[in-house]
Amino acid sequence: MNLFKKIVYIIEFIGFYLIKLVQANLFIAYDILTPRMITKPAFLNIPVEIKSDFGLLLFSNLLSMTPGSLCVDLSDDKKEMKVHILYHESVEDMQNEIAKIQDRIIRISN
Amino acid sequence: MWWIYTFILAGSLFILIASIGLIRFKDIYSRMHVTTKASSFGIMLILIGVSLYLNIGEVYLKAFFVIIFVYLTAPLAAHSIAKSNRDRS
Amino acid sequence: MNIVIYIAFGFLLVALAVTLFRLIKGPTSGDRIIALDLVGFITMGFVLVYSVLINKAIYFDIPVIISMVSFIGTIAVSTYLKEKT
Repeated sequence: MNLFKKIVYIIEFIGFYLIKLVQANLFIAYDILTPRMITKPAFLNIPVEIKSDFGLLLFSNLLSMTPGSLCVDLSDDKKEMKVHILYHESVEDMQNEIAKIQDRIIRISN
Repeated sequence: MWWIYTFILAGSLFILIASIGLIRFKDIYSRMHVTTKASSFGIMLILIGVSLYLNIGEVYLKAFFVIIFVYLTAPLAAHSIAKSNRDRS
Repeated sequence: MNIVIYIAFGFLLVALAVTLFRLIKGPTSGDRIIALDLVGFITMGFVLVYSVLINKAIYFDIPVIISMVSFIGTIAVSTYLKEKT
């Protein structure tokens, strides 16, 4: 039963990854091809709750592929991650999005 | 047959978008956003189109491995460049 | 349908020219490393589209090698610049 649930979560995660991938590329293509650039780059520190190394790899990879965020650095005790974001419109929305991604990865990797 | 050409054309268009973004953005981290996302997406579309055109079993396998490799290493390269740039400045 | 292949070649050629402009101009050396990474991707695209034009599957081996060498080169240059200071 537990294994079955995990397989369902993994398939759901792959679909989520592909949707985020296409969305990120359409966002960035729209931003480049329109004449006025609406970007406001900034740095953001977010707390990390993932324990396993494989989960951290998945998390930084997915964070680099989602629209408007790029993983830059991870602190030594693996508790805080520095993220560069491209659309600095509303910090709370971005933090909610990242927390949602983190919950999905914790469901898979733990 | 037309979807194969659509894949190839869309992939080269995304690589062109990546290079235009490389010249339009202002600072180095924004340029890294473009060259991580758009160029690996474009090369994935070109690989899918070419392997559908050639239609051989081992070509599908090689295309799958190249896509996995590119998607594992493009964020790593961006991470390494960002870290070296941040340590020097 | 060869005209579509030639249009794709045109896109890749314009991309290569723009990337070489950034490679020459780039203010810091980080910009030059990013531009070199993108040159590797554009070369992979050229070889793949050319293999469609001449219809030979043996050309598919080249992008496998280019992706590995490009990744190792990027990591090596950025690590060298980090350790040099």
